Amino acid sequence: MNADEARESLAFSEYARKRARDDMSRPWLALVLLATLSVVSLSLTESAASLTGLFWAFAGPLGAGAIALYAYRRSRSSGIESSPLGYVAITAGLLILAYTAGRLGFAFQVPAVARFGPAIAVAAGFLALAWIERSWMVAAISAALLAVTVAIIGFDLSPQQSKALLFGLYGFTLLAVGFSLRVGRNLG
Amino acid sequence: MTHPSSALDDTIHQRVRLGILAVLSESRRADFAYLQEVLEVTAGNLSQHLAILEDAGHIQIAKAFEDKRPRTWVTVTRKGRTALAAEVATMRALLDGIGSGQRP
Repeated sequence: MNADEARESLAFSEYARKRARDDMSRPWLALVLLATLSVVSLSLTESAASLTGLFWAFAGPLGAGAIALYAYRRSRSSGIESSPLGYVAITAGLLILAYTAGRLGFAFQVPAVARFGPAIAVAAGFLALAWIERSWMVAAISAALLAVTVAIIGFDLSPQQSKALLFGLYGFTLLAVGFSLRVGRNLG
Repeated sequence: MTHPSSALDDTIHQRVRLGILAVLSESRRADFAYLQEVLEVTAGNLSQHLAILEDAGHIQIAKAFEDKRPRTWVTVTRKGRTALAAEVATMRALLDGIGSGQRP
């Protein structure tokens, strides 16, 4: 094998890898769904904390199930399947982390943990999603959300204000990114 | 001293077979039609390459009926993943050697 052949083979294998990744990539639905749930839960910010927890306890697994079902049907029709294990682990980890952070914050009377822990768990979950999807865009957005969340902790906001700000920020950012990924896919 | 190219695996350094393993290493499995489209080969050509890789233990082929239609799913084995990683590393080393002034 000469240098040109080696270069050409490497380039072809990289093209094949990238094509497979692109055809399996579907972060837009996860983003749009989670964003929608975040925005809907905005309306619950004035309610008791248990109501928000109840909403997420039902909406979280339902949303994860919808994403899994979409991924399954999509892979069946496209002819390439990704392993669902990573997505299942991220969803389960995200829900457990968010719930645990909230409960621990209340139990140990640390309002900042109760208020911001779940948001940080969501951003960390999306960082993990970005790694699975090899998406720099999702990684950058997740890192920005993490940074803004940490910055908000420094402000002296009421629980309702910080909750509304976080859900609004997460909801609309992820919604915008999700739809832009969807539109980009259609244009591509 | 052996030439770096002697470490290349004859079974997989062929362009299409390298492409098949590259696609499969990114996924859980892919079907025959998908591989044919991505690699731009004829059905007969792809079948030959798949048979070579299967004989070498790099892939597994499963035939099934879905919605009353035959469908062939292809999965990479652990041996196939290892072989692909080694092949890519060897080719990169070969190119690095050329880049640093060693004789190809």
